[in-house]
Amino acid sequence: MGVTLGLALVLGACGDGNSGSGDGGAGGGAKSAVIAIAADPLEYINPLNENGSPGIQIAQAMFAPLVATDPGTGKTVNVLADSVTPDKTSQTWTIKLKPGNTFQNGQKLTAKDYVDSWNLTAQGSTAWKNNGFFSKVEGYEALNPPTPDGATPKPTSVKALSGLKQLDDLTFSVKLKVPFSQFGLTLQYLGLAPLPEEVRKDPDAYKRKPIGNGPFKLDGTWNPGDDIKLVKWDGYKGPNAPEADALTYRFISNADTAYNEFLAGTVDFVDVPSTKIQSFKTDAPDQWVTSESSGANYLTLPAWDARYKNPKLRHAFSMAIDRKSLSNLVGLATPASGLIAPDISGYRENACKYCDFDAAKAKTLLQEAGGFSGAVNISYSTTSATGQVFAEAIGNMLRQNLGLEVKYTGKQGSEITELADTRKLDGLRFSGWGHDYPSIEDYLTPMFKSSGDANFSGYTNPALDQILAKGDAEPDQDKAIKLYQQAEDIALEDMPLIPLYAKQNAYLHSAKIEPRVSKYTGVQALYSTFQ
Amino acid sequence: MLAAVPIGLIVTLGVFALVFAMPGDPLRELAGDKPIPAAVLAAKRAQFHLDQPFIVQYLLSMKDILTGNFGTTFAGGDIAAQLKLRIPVTLKLTLLANAFQWTLGLLFGIYAGFRRNGLVDRSLLLITLVLLAVPGLVAYFAAQFLFGVQLKWFPVSGVLEGFPRSYLLPALVIGLLGFAGLARLMRTSIVETVNADFVKTARAKGLGEQRVLWRHILPNALLPVVTFIGLDLAGMFGGAIITESIFNLPGLGQFMFQAIKLKEGGVVVLLSTLAFVSYIVINLAVDILYGILDPRVRNV
Repeated sequence: MGVTLGLALVLGACGDGNSGSGDGGAGGGAKSAVIAIAADPLEYINPLNENGSPGIQIAQAMFAPLVATDPGTGKTVNVLADSVTPDKTSQTWTIKLKPGNTFQNGQKLTAKDYVDSWNLTAQGSTAWKNNGFFSKVEGYEALNPPTPDGATPKPTSVKALSGLKQLDDLTFSVKLKVPFSQFGLTLQYLGLAPLPEEVRKDPDAYKRKPIGNGPFKLDGTWNPGDDIKLVKWDGYKGPNAPEADALTYRFISNADTAYNEFLAGTVDFVDVPSTKIQSFKTDAPDQWVTSESSGANYLTLPAWDARYKNPKLRHAFSMAIDRKSLSNLVGLATPASGLIAPDISGYRENACKYCDFDAAKAKTLLQEAGGFSGAVNISYSTTSATGQVFAEAIGNMLRQNLGLEVKYTGKQGSEITELADTRKLDGLRFSGWGHDYPSIEDYLTPMFKSSGDANFSGYTNPALDQILAKGDAEPDQDKAIKLYQQAEDIALEDMPLIPLYAKQNAYLHSAKIEPRVSKYTGVQALYSTFQ
Repeated sequence: MLAAVPIGLIVTLGVFALVFAMPGDPLRELAGDKPIPAAVLAAKRAQFHLDQPFIVQYLLSMKDILTGNFGTTFAGGDIAAQLKLRIPVTLKLTLLANAFQWTLGLLFGIYAGFRRNGLVDRSLLLITLVLLAVPGLVAYFAAQFLFGVQLKWFPVSGVLEGFPRSYLLPALVIGLLGFAGLARLMRTSIVETVNADFVKTARAKGLGEQRVLWRHILPNALLPVVTFIGLDLAGMFGGAIITESIFNLPGLGQFMFQAIKLKEGGVVVLLSTLAFVSYIVINLAVDILYGILDPRVRNV
């Protein structure tokens, strides 16, 4: 081994000049930070074609939303919008823009930019990921004719949503298919950012040189595989401007490697990977933060399997699960006591009557339900390092507390989703959800409405659909929340999903920055204060 | 050389079939937990020919590769641009790693072979035994933590500091892990050659030691080693998948890993074809080198 060390010494001595420099050389301004993103590098920057991190994370820096959540109060505040006004039924929404805003190429930001960018995205043939957002808008079907599975989509001559109308230079209106009281909240989504005219004409030509309207712009050129270097853009006049003068986003696909980069002092902010949950507090004392996340985790029961039909059986399963020890196993997690994440207004502690661990009661409930025939099959994702461990933990609880026979099936995540989508999945699976906009409704509609697009369990209940529709049509937000809570109660009584835990997030940050931690918006490196 | 064409067809068809048979839906995998609208799924399926039968998908892929029309990945990356970016990274890593491996392997192997049972020979035996037993994954992370995080001699990951600095640590670890086999082969080959009759004859004829060493022993002892090096070089690509991921080097291995993860048949076949072609080129080079070292095989 002496050889190894000796040679490494010689080679290492060759370039000591720039190792361990600490600030990673971002921008060069005093207030600059390097943010590590544990993901494969981006291929393009186009918020309308991004529906998840890390693409939306970059969009947050380069594009400004219409409205945003105030990190201090959780209330919605206007950013580029001057006003967002529903009509009496919450079906038609009028959005007025603040005057004087421009894109980073100097073009004036007008209502037309929104209308045209949204129409472009709403076209199925564009194949942009945020297409689904516009399914609520009147005229969506004309741009997206239903296509049988496996068939090639038919081209359409319709290029505009009939529900979108430009009223004047700074005003446009959106007519929805049905009333939707939460629509105003959805406008904070960065995936709705407008593209300027030259980009709309040839989006491909600008996928590596985006023209934004947010607080930061690209510094120089960017190619996939490079770090994304951003500098402050003086044209951004909106509220809530970040403090940094320059930011570098560094993509490191291996999360453990990203963590090591932080420990070596070359990045200022990093997510703690699941493998380091036990050690991060000692690895970086005083340089970590944690926060509740909007992510909620569930055990999903198949509505298409008659054996799981009885709600009492579902309650029995739920009460047989010791959420506290499961959360300890997950690490940095809070046991769930409802279907909503704790950071959402409308969240009630202990909304769930059947989420306390009580083995005796669980057994009684199972007997009342008439028992369970055969083995309980738990499917877990083999692509996740912890999938099997969590499946076995749940399985052991069901076996010990209910005396059931349990078997496990490991499959690739997308395969399990496909089986569930086609109603062929046999038994239980894990699922998770995080909101796109901070509304209790964004948990209930996708997962529990009969036509919900994340209704993984195949659950239908007309009573719940009706009350959701009532909430959607209620313009008074407090009254709407009350209605949505009634829907949550119905879902908890039927229990198509068993709530398990809400995961907390953990991050490391260098001594140079203090990331913003908010109950409502989580931990954001973008809004760090500098020491 | 002509045999390469049918073999290439079988290899690419086989690889494509393997990727096709993998479970899961690539577009769903790409979307993660979020649902994608049916219209977008249908448009993407049509764009990447995923709605076609297997053999049509394969033929369309091959047509694209042969006409140099690489298109984009499912995630929207230009494949041609990716190759331009990634081929140099993998080449630099592989060549540097091999340079370490060959230098160390040949030097130690030759020295140990000539000074059999000496201190170097015995320690080499022990060191190579240890190195052969260390799993790559452990060694890469351990080296990264020790030399990158703790001692800060090398960058932890990435290619920001350019060639060779960014490549030194991963190449060194690959080279060290790989040198054991080469050193042992070289040593044995030297031992066998030194005791061969033709060396004894050469010495008996009164040739000088230098001439015996350079003209008789080394060329003959190197013959099996050249074959080993050729095979080893061709096999580097597989090893690059892990190394490039851990050291965040945007090379072909990382590209291959992403493509397999997303079930991107076209990209996997393209990269396999690249590996296949380089394998043939390296083998050709080995044959030529063989001819130089050993005139007897020149006309075989």
